Parts: sequence; structure tokens; C-alpha cells
Amino acid sequence: MAGWFLKGVALGVKTTKYPRRAEQAPGVSPGLPRPTRFLDAAQAQEVASRCPTGALSASGSEVAVDARKCIHCYRCLRSDGAAMSWSDDYDWADVPESATGQGRPLGFEPRFRRSVNILVVDAGDCGACLNEIAQLAAPQYNLHRLGFFLTPTPRHADLLMVVGPVTDAMRYPLLAAYEAMPEPKRVMAVGTCALGGSVFGPSFIAGGGVAELLPVDVEVPGNPPPPLAILHALRVVSGQIRGARR
Amino acid sequence: MSLADGLLVLFFAFLGVAIIVTLVSSGRSGPLLMALFGAASGALLVAAGAVILAGGRPVDLSLWSIPGLGALHLALDPLSALFLIVAGLVFLPVSIFSAGYARRYEGRYSLKAMAVNSYALFASIALLLSTDSLLLFLLAWEGVALFSYLLVNFEHDHAPTRSAAYLFLVMAEAGTAAVVVAFMLLANGAHSFDFAEIRAAASSAGPGIRWAVFLLSFFGFGVKAGIVPVNAWLPRAHPAAPANVSAIMSGTVLNMGLYGILRTNGDLLPLTQVAPGVIVLLVGALSAIVGILYATTANDLKTMLAHSSIENIGIVVAGFGGAFVFAASGRGDLAAILVTAALYHMTNHSLYKSLLFMGAGSVDEAVGTRDLDRLGGLARWMPLTSIFFLAGALSIAAIPPFNGFVSEWLTFQGILRSAELASRAVQVAFVLAGACLALTAALAITCFVKAFAMGFLGVARSPEVRRARERPLITVFSLGIPAALCLLLGILPTYVIPALDRAARPVVVETSSAVELVPPFFAPPPYSGELPEGFVRDFHDIGAQVGQGLLPGRGLVVLHRGGPDRHVVFAMAPSYMILLLVLLGGGTYVVVRVASRSRSLRRARQWDGGLHRLPHELTYTATGFSNPVRVIFRGIFRPRTIEDLHETMSEHFRGPIRRQYEEVHVVTRLFVKPLTRSARWLSDNLARMHSGKINTYVGYVLITLAVFVVLAWFT
Amino acid sequence: MTPRELIATEIRSRWSEFPLTVEWPAPDRLRIDVGEGSTAVDIAEWLVDERGFVFAGMAVREHRRYWRIHYLFYDHGIPGLWIQVSSDTSREQPLIPSLASRVHAADWHEREAEDHFGILFEGHPRLGDFVLHDEEWPEGISPMRKSFDASERILSRGTRPDWSPRRILQEPGAFAMTVGPIYGGLSEPVHFLLETTGENVVRAFPRLFFKYRAIEKRAEGLDVNGALLLAERFSATTAFASSFAFCQAVETMADIEAPPRARTLRVLLAELERLRRHVGSIRGICGSTALAVAESRAGYLEEELLRLSGEIGGHRYLFGLNVPGGLAADLADGACRLLAERLAEIEHALASLRRMLGTTSSFLDRLEEVGVVTSEEAGYHGLVGPVARASNIVCDLRAAHPYSGYERFAVAVPHEEEGDGYARLRVLFDEALESARIIRSAARDLPSGAVRTPIERAPRNAWAFGAVEAPGGASIHWLWLDEEGRVERYRIVPPSFVNWHGFHLAAEGFAFQDFPIILSTFALSVAESDR
Ligand code: SF4
Repeated sequence: MAGWFLKGVALGVKTTKYPRRAEQAPGVSPGLPRPTRFLDAAQAQEVASRCPTGALSASGSEVAVDARKCIHCYRCLRSDGAAMSWSDDYDWADVPESATGQGRPLGFEPRFRRSVNILVVDAGDCGACLNEIAQLAAPQYNLHRLGFFLTPTPRHADLLMVVGPVTDAMRYPLLAAYEAMPEPKRVMAVGTCALGGSVFGPSFIAGGGVAELLPVDVEVPGNPPPPLAILHALRVVSGQIRGARR
Repeated sequence: MSLADGLLVLFFAFLGVAIIVTLVSSGRSGPLLMALFGAASGALLVAAGAVILAGGRPVDLSLWSIPGLGALHLALDPLSALFLIVAGLVFLPVSIFSAGYARRYEGRYSLKAMAVNSYALFASIALLLSTDSLLLFLLAWEGVALFSYLLVNFEHDHAPTRSAAYLFLVMAEAGTAAVVVAFMLLANGAHSFDFAEIRAAASSAGPGIRWAVFLLSFFGFGVKAGIVPVNAWLPRAHPAAPANVSAIMSGTVLNMGLYGILRTNGDLLPLTQVAPGVIVLLVGALSAIVGILYATTANDLKTMLAHSSIENIGIVVAGFGGAFVFAASGRGDLAAILVTAALYHMTNHSLYKSLLFMGAGSVDEAVGTRDLDRLGGLARWMPLTSIFFLAGALSIAAIPPFNGFVSEWLTFQGILRSAELASRAVQVAFVLAGACLALTAALAITCFVKAFAMGFLGVARSPEVRRARERPLITVFSLGIPAALCLLLGILPTYVIPALDRAARPVVVETSSAVELVPPFFAPPPYSGELPEGFVRDFHDIGAQVGQGLLPGRGLVVLHRGGPDRHVVFAMAPSYMILLLVLLGGGTYVVVRVASRSRSLRRARQWDGGLHRLPHELTYTATGFSNPVRVIFRGIFRPRTIEDLHETMSEHFRGPIRRQYEEVHVVTRLFVKPLTRSARWLSDNLARMHSGKINTYVGYVLITLAVFVVLAWFT
Repeated sequence: MTPRELIATEIRSRWSEFPLTVEWPAPDRLRIDVGEGSTAVDIAEWLVDERGFVFAGMAVREHRRYWRIHYLFYDHGIPGLWIQVSSDTSREQPLIPSLASRVHAADWHEREAEDHFGILFEGHPRLGDFVLHDEEWPEGISPMRKSFDASERILSRGTRPDWSPRRILQEPGAFAMTVGPIYGGLSEPVHFLLETTGENVVRAFPRLFFKYRAIEKRAEGLDVNGALLLAERFSATTAFASSFAFCQAVETMADIEAPPRARTLRVLLAELERLRRHVGSIRGICGSTALAVAESRAGYLEEELLRLSGEIGGHRYLFGLNVPGGLAADLADGACRLLAERLAEIEHALASLRRMLGTTSSFLDRLEEVGVVTSEEAGYHGLVGPVARASNIVCDLRAAHPYSGYERFAVAVPHEEEGDGYARLRVLFDEALESARIIRSAARDLPSGAVRTPIERAPRNAWAFGAVEAPGGASIHWLWLDEEGRVERYRIVPPSFVNWHGFHLAAEGFAFQDFPIILSTFALSVAESDR
């Protein structure tokens, strides 16, 4: 047992400086395309038409990006011809329009902010979003230091994090979990599938995102959103910062 | 004639009238009469006993004398008075309960028989307790056995009932035989059947006689008390008997065994050696642990309660044993405390066990089954019964503020004082017994968590449960009486212990001053001089801090015996504890409901992982709950697989797995079976002597003659 | 005659009275078409029982007048052989001969086909309630039939209130402990029914398909590039392996081969994914035993590997790299060298973690002799991957059926005999270290040149299957394209689907508290099996 301790000490501190400082390490984010101006409208049209999910839309020579739909297929970047410009940031989380303007406070009240318990419900994801949430517990991110805790039961949960497009078989369990949570509670949709179904839905068996069922307070784009994007979203939902407002 | 005398005579006369009225009355009014007569006679008994325990003159009443048979003489000393009160406290509510419960038998069985038999049993018990003659005692003893048998055998057309009742009768008679021999030895020594004269002659008894009387009476009375290894009848009789009979049996008949043990070995011929006491102690502890193990794993509510009776009687007997050892070692002070504790536990057991049996009967009547695997969630359908059953379960599991806690705590305290004994071997025995009792206490909690949780909480495990309705108010009321008493005895031991102490006096050889239970800060000197100084100071301080006027007078149990140089002080404060509990509970309520802003209560479905529905097949069963106990104590239970079938539908596809186990009770396995086997072996071999030839028999006679001649020669 | 040809000859002579068509589309692929009847099942049974072939999967195709069923087998021989046996059953016939009653590994495949197509298998002790849960789905819906419109939502199904679980343990007081579908923090949804009388799990029954997204149905009608997105994303933790197999199938149909550089890079990336996935599984095992320090050490390594993947391939789960014909983007030589360098550290840390775990008795106590799967059991359930190898079934497609140039790397196949949790952990460690070795050796001599062979003639009206050794075991992807080059049928047999079938073997007979540990040692993915 002492060996474990010594090894741990020998590893040193590996935790990111985020949110105090932006994390610069390579590979922490798959990045997103940035709105780009092309030489002419035809080129813009061509680039936008490469996107399989309709995340890009051309108007004139400009191509706009809907981050909520991008699935990082890199077809707008890597195919022959012109390419979108790319950014490697990760502060993508945002408050959906449906949640603003309803008089519902966005984040938690201040007294709930310092300890937010999270229930993660997998409603049909591909495993990546779930794995990225799991990475938050890794030493590099150390979720707990920011006052966020994962809990296995809705009875203790303040925040419901949903990944996946919500398959039909998970509709009822998801609703039951939400019902079982005490007030005040918030819902976070994590990943492209949870935002709009992505490649999986809507279909006869899978929905088109969490918002079909539950009031979503914060959306995190990304397929999957990297751990830092989820961390950013957690800070948004707990009321510490405002969303990205892309 | 004193007040107590009058009450006792009134009681017997009243019962006589009751029997006659019942016999001549129409069947319709039977149950109501039963409730009336039973409750009234119970109240009479309680009153008679209470008068004596409260300091009234003991009953000493010569009614008439029949030439040749001597005088019919009734005598009630405080010890008998306590047993009388307990019997009355059981009869009173159970009679009321019977009125409702017995209706289920209307038209099928004779309710008159039930009523008359229970009056007769009642009278026998009262007679047994109020006699001071061995002969009358034996007569009453037989009456108790006979009427118990008749009551157990109430549903006489059921074969299992008949065989269970028969087993009870056979074992009871075997016990009686032993008691008769023991009494003959006693009477022989004193040349009299009279208790007083036997007492007087006790000191002259030799060790052989002492051992014989002890062994025979312990066995004989032990059968009735249901201690290991002569308990076989108990777990079979209770499930077979009607619930009200079970309640009476557990609450009173078992006590008669205890009374016999205590009367014989503590009063008539007090034990002077340590060894018998150690035997009683260990047998008691063994009964307790064996009883609770089987209770924990039993799924039939009544079987569970029956096994638990073995456990509780075991605890009482262990207390007696400890007291005998202390008394024989010259520590009368500790002996007195243990007897008090044991009597306290006995009283408690009678109350909560009759309550629980009535509860089980209510459940059985409402649902139609007592199988915990098929019950569940009854709290929703029978809320009041559930609350009273819970009170009983908490009491029996020794959870404060209920009464079980007080008596078990006292028993443990007493047993722990064995460290002051000189003999190492005796100390070891006490440690063993103490360990057994501690384990018993822990298992008792498991057992009654199971009983309550599986029966009354959770989801209904069978459709019948959902059809269950609360019992009529009168039945529920009859459950409330013992429940309230359980709570009272738990929070006011300070008022109970002086009475028990008085009851214990006939069997306690006490040299020092009497017990005084008033906290020292209410009763400044003269008592404080006998208590350790630091102790007194501490309590004065507490008293000063808390404020004298606020607290109930006798809020603190301070058992105090011995002189100034030999302090035996136990202290606990159940009355204050309940005060604290109420304050804490109320405080929490206030904090939750008033201080927190949300005052609305939201009811949500239980969290089951997100299933559409939680069918009862997916929740814990009673078997599953107690299975860990079964696994840990595998060596004791020794389940034997009688079926283990794995059906495969085709290669590697699995069909039903059928399994069934059979368990033989450890006492039957280790004690009864070998006994019957050797008896059979003996008779088989003896049978071989019968060759049928005349000359062989002549040879036997000659050999016998020769042996006697040789024996005579030497003596 | 080579041993491969011998099998073909033997099958021909044994079933000489039946009209068999035997083809060799490739030297290591044998195709047998048996027409109608139960001959296919007979041959399949003979292959598995007598010749030691492994049942790899089953694909049902719907034709207008008949059902066509393909059974796929492979052997462990080196070099190995793929045999596909196909048979037809007229749609007038209500019952199709069942293979599962003779080859147990086919059990779940037939149950799945039953729910997918609404067809019945004669002799299969059907259990129903498989893909489409009984409590929600009415009878008579067969989503994989062509006539079924997959774009329409059926929301009014309602729930069956009287649903109750099927139980097989009949013992007084027996009950089924329910776990899930939402349970234990970060877990994929599965509903476990653990039948017991209170101490040991007598029967473990996982109910899957809470994450059923009907990938196979959704792929129908898409073009190859569209289906590729599904192949890559249905189970992201093994995205590269899946897209790899998918691209293999397309490349086989188009009759092209990825350029040498792409082939080696694919090996490198596939091993990187395996390494990451195994480290993740090791993290899971440490976590299930509540050994927090080890868990966070493994977690640290996993995140480092994810970042490494993101750094060299752009995406942390290697999305968007595989395309039919090679890779979408080249990896810089520098990046590969950097990878090799960093791997040395990770390898070192992994070896030290392994050493320390091997001396932590409180950890070993929870794993050793717990969750045992015997070699025989693993065999008849057709288990694959590290789970099978821990039960002494030495089988690895990279070694037996090398693809994409794996033969150059002389893949070692670690295996253990005990079949318990610790054996599975050791296999995971050994494979992870072996992967690191392969990556370094691939990075060392990376061929130069292009990374993508352009597809001259888009395949139409063709079919093929691709098979790779995914981190969890053999992963098989069948693809049928119609005249327009659109997907007509896509069939995935992922390793988790196969291993979930055998998971109960490990869980049964052990105590409740061992259950999560046993589950973690199986390193199963629900996203992968539910599809
Ligand atoms: S990466 Fe793919 S999904 Fe995202 S915008 Fe570009 S083309 Fe669209």
C-alpha cells in the first residue's frame, strides 16, 4: 500500500490549470470548424455541401457553422479542395433558446453552486460521451476539485446529464430518473446526439435529442465533447459563467 | 380476610360462574362472553397480584379442609403475585382479541370448548401460583398441561395439529414425571408436602438429593418452559394452535416452567453449589442462540415467534443461572440484580410475545397466510396493526425506548459482573454465555427487522395482501394494550424495578440493605452514604444542571446494592432517554418543516433503476434476507438437498432450476435422533433375550438372584 | 491438396447427394451455397463439432420469395480459412431450421433475427423479449423487414403493465435481484436480473438493447460514405476497428487495396485504439474493486492516450480517418515518431501498474478464482477476444487471418488458462503491451507514399464482409450494395454481442458483491452489442 502512495507522489501534479488558465495541451479537443469566408460562392457551396449533417450553411462566400450538428467527420477539412478553418477550443456549451426567456433561472442558486451532484444517464450514446465524462475523474481533470460529484442515484442528484439521442427503451427510465430527482434540478444534454439525434435519430427507435422529453438547461455540442467542454458546461449550468453564445 | 384474599377468591368464583354461564348460553353470544369474562378475570388477577406487590399482606387463606386430604390452603407470596400479574396482563387483552378472532371458527369448531378450556387453563394457572402444597401444585400442573393440550388441539380434525398437540402432551407428561420424582424427594426429606416445612428442612439435604432434585426439576420444568434440548414441541405447537392460544401459551404457560425452576431451586431447596447454576446459565444461553437462529431463518410468522420464545426463555433462564451462581458464591447482591433482570425480561416477553402472536393472528386472518415470502406491504392496508406489531418487534429486538432493552441491558450488566467471581472456570462459562447472548441480541434485531420489513413494508408479494383490510377496532384495541404496556415498561423501569425487587425477595438471599432507585439528587442522604462518593457528586451535578422540577422523579435506574464498601451501581436513564428522543424528533421535524423553505411534501415512486414497474418478484424475499445467516451458520442448519434439478431444454439452453432443501432442527439432529436410535437399539437387543424357552427364563432368574446375593454381601 | 481444399472436397463428398455450389472468391475464403433445406445447419454443425471452426455470425437477408441466411465460420489455423455457408428458406415455410439448438453460439443471433424479421427458428427454445422488449413492444413488429418504414416514429406503443420477468430458479424464497437499466453512476444501460435466494447469484440474465438504435436498419438506403459514419459512430470506443472492417468490405467489393503506407498506419491506429481501450478496461477493473489509486493511474494513462490520439489523428476517438481506400489524412512522420516516444513512457507506466497490482493482495483476492469461465464453456459460446484468450482459447484474427499487413508484425497472442478475472486482467495487460510494441515497430518503418487509393468504379450490386480483431475480439461487418451503390443490408456482429452471450457463465455461482467486478473484467460495451 505504501508503494501506491509513493508512486502517486512520484507522478506529481498532473491536473489541468483550467478554469484558471486555458489548457494548451495538444489533443484535448477535436476542435470545431470556424465560420469561414471563401473566394467565391461556388466554393462556399461546395464546402458546405460536404457536410453530412447540415452543420454548414453557405450564404454568399461565407459558410456559417452550427456547432450543435457537427460530428467531427472532418470532411469539410480534409477533402480535396478548399477547407474550413478550424479551431481547437472547447468552450462550446451554451444555454438553448428554449431555456432562456422563460423566467427560469439559468444556473443553480448560489448556495447550490459549490456542490453539484450529477447523475449521468446514458440514453443510447456510442460510448464516447460516457467515456469523456469518465475522463473527468482522471487526474488530468479531477472534477471533484471544482465541487462536482458523480452520483449513482437520482435521489442525490442536482444535475441530470444525458448522453445519447434517447432511444425508445430509455425514454421511460430517463423520465423516471428525472422525476425521482429532488428540486432544484437542471438538465444538461451532452453531445451532438443528445442535442439533435445526430446520425442515430430521429428514427422509429431513437429520438432526436433530449429536448423532446425534458427541459434542457445547457447544451454541449461535440461528438463527443471533450472533457474540458463538459467542464465548461458544468460551470455554465452551475451559474459560474455564461454560455458561449455562438 | 385481606383485600388480596378477597380478590383471589372472587377470581375463582367468577371463573366458576363463567364456565357455567358459557355452557348454558347460546352459541351466538359466546365470543362476547369470552371477552367479558376473560378480561374481567384477568383484571381481577392483576389486581390481586398488584395489591400484594404494592406491599399488601401476602395471601394466606385456608378455605376448607377435607378429611384425609388436608386443608385447601391458598398462599400468595410476592413471587407468585408477579407471575399472577403477568398471567392476568396476558389474559386480559388476549380474551378481548379472542372474541374477534374466534369468529373465524364459528360453525366449524366449538367455541364453547375454547372458552371453557381457556377458563380452566386460567384457573389452573392461578391455582398453581397460589398454592403452597406440592400435591396441589402437581394437580394444577397437570391441569395446565391438559387444558393447554386441549387448546392446542382445537383444530382437532387436522392431522398436523393432532400430532403437534400429541407431541406437546407426551413431552409435558415426561416433564411431569420428572417433576413428580423431584417433589417426592423433597417431600421425603421434609416429611411433608408443605412448602414451609420443605424450606425448613432444606438445609439438611445431602448433595446427592440436591443434585437429583435440581436435575429432575430443571428437566421437568424446562420442558414446559421450552428450553433446549427439550423444546421440540414448541415450534410445532404454535403454528398448529389458534393465534389466541399461542399468545396465551407463550405469555403464560411457558412462565409456569420458569416459575417451577425458580420456586424449586431458588426457594424450596436453594442451590448451594456453583455447578448447577453454571449448567442453568449455559443451557439458557444455548437456548437463546439456538432459538434465535431458527427464528431468524423461519418464514412462517408463528414458527418464527415460537422459536423466538425459546430464545427469550433462554435469556430468562440464563439470568436465573447467573443468579444461582452468584447466590452460591456468596454474592447475594448480584444474584438479586440478575433475578430482577430475569423476571423483568420474563414480564416483557409475555407482553410482547402475546402482542406479536395476536398480530400474527390478525395478519393470518386478514391475508390468509403467515408466510413472510408471500406477505409484504401490509402497512398500507393494516396501518394500526402494523404500528402495534412494530412496537412488539422493537420491544423484542431490544430497541429503546421499549421494554426489551431495559431487561436485556440489566441482564448483560449482571452477567458482566461475573468478573468479580473467584473461579476462572466459572468466569469462562459466564464469558461464553455472555457472548452467546450478545450474538443473540444482534440476531434478534435481524430477525425482527425481517419480520416487520418483509411482512409490513415493501411491495405486496401476493394478491391476497392487496385484499387485506384492517381488523375490527376491538381487535386492534386488544393489540394496543400490550403495546402500550411494552412502551410503559420501557420508559418507566424505575417504577417497575422496586416491584420486581419485592417479587424476587422470596428467592433471593440478600444480606445487605434493599435496593433504592431514586436518583441521589432527589434523595439526598441517608442513601448517598451507601453510594460511591464520586458517583453521587456527578449525579448531583447533573441534577443541578438539568433542573429538579423539570424531570420526572424516578427517571434514572440506579440499581444499588451492597454496603458502603461494596458498591454495585448500574445506572441508566430510559425515562430521560425518551424525553431526549421526543425532543430530538420534534427538533428535527421543526428544522425540516419550518426552517427549510419547502413545506410541501412530494411523493415519488421508489427508485428502481428506471423500470416500468417493480414486480414483487424483483424485490427481496424473507428467505433472501435471512439467507446470509443461514450461510454463516451452515454448520448448525445443515440443509440437506432433497432436490436439485437443472432442466436443459436442449444442449446448453437452460430450463428451470428446481431446488429444495430440508432442514432437521439441530436439537433433533444431535439430541433427539441419537436418543431414539439408542432406545431402539436397546429394545431390539433386549428383545433378543426373549428366546421363548422356559429354561432360559429360569436362568435369568437365577442370575439375578446371584447378583443380588453378591450385592447384599458387600453392603 | 492444401488443407483448405481438403475441407472443400470433404464437404462435397459428405453431402454429395445435395446440390452444393462451392466457390473460392479468395484463397482464404470458401463459399458454399446449399439451396433449401437443413443441409446448411448440418454442415455448420459438422464444421464446429468436427473441424473446430468458430461460428462467427449469421446474416439474414430478405428476398421476395425466400429468406437467405448466411452463416460465417473461421478457424484458428494459421493461415486460417473463412467459410460462409448460405441457404434459402421459402417464405411460405413458417419455420427455418435452427442452428442454435446444435451450435449454441448461434443462440442470440437467431433470437435477434427473430425480433428483427419476425421469423421463427425450428427447435430454438425461444425466449422472446430480446431486441424489442416485451414490456413496450407489441407482437408483430419486425423492424428489419423491407416493408417496415424506419423513419416513422411509433410513439403510442404504451407500456404493458403486467410485464414480469421470466425466471427459471424455482426454489422457496428465490427472487430476482434487479439492477438497472440506470445503475452505478457511469454505466451503460443494461437491466440485469440476478436470480438468487440471497447470497450467490444462481442465474445472471442481462437484458440488453436499451440502446438499440437500429444501426443496421438506418444504414439501408445510404451511400457508402453515409453508412461509414454509422459504422464509425455506433460504438465510438472501438470506432477505428469498426470503420476498418467496414472499409475492408467496401475495398473487397471495389477490388482495391489501400496503399502500403495507409495499411501500416491503419495497423498503428488500430493498435493505438486497442491500447487505449484496454487501458480503459483496466481502469474499470481497478475502479470496480475500489482501488482508487490504481484507478486514477490507469485513468491518467487513458487520458494521455486519448490526447495522443487527438494529437496525431485529430480526433480523440480517431473519427474521420478511415475511408474506403485508405485514410482521409496522412499522419506526419514527426507525429508518429513522437507517438513512439511517448508510448515508451506509457508502456513503462503500464508495466509498473501491472507489477504493483500483481502484489496487492486485497486486489487479487477480488479477482482470483472469481468469475471463472472454463475453456469448454468459452468454446461452445464462441467467445472472442481477451475474454476467450483468458480461458485458453488462442484465437486472434490478426494472427490467424492477417489483414492489412498484420503478418509483418508477428502478433503474439497472449493467453491464460484459469479463465478467472485475474486471467482476463493479465491478458488485457499483455495485449496492451503487445499493442504498444506493434505501434512502435510500425512507426519505425513506415512506408512512404500516398494514403488513399481512389475508388475507380464505385461498387454496385455487390457484397462482401470485412473482419478485424477489434479490442474486444473479432468484429464482422457484412455489406450488401444495390444497383445504385446504396446499402441494401448492413450486418454487424461485434465482439461484445458475442461475449455478452457468455457473460452469465462468469457471474453465476458467485456472490453479489463480486458481480460488478466480474462485469468489469469482461470489458463489454453495450453500445457495441446493442447497435
Ligand atoms: S466536421 Fe463534418 S460534421 Fe462537422 S462541420 Fe465539418 S463536415 Fe460537418
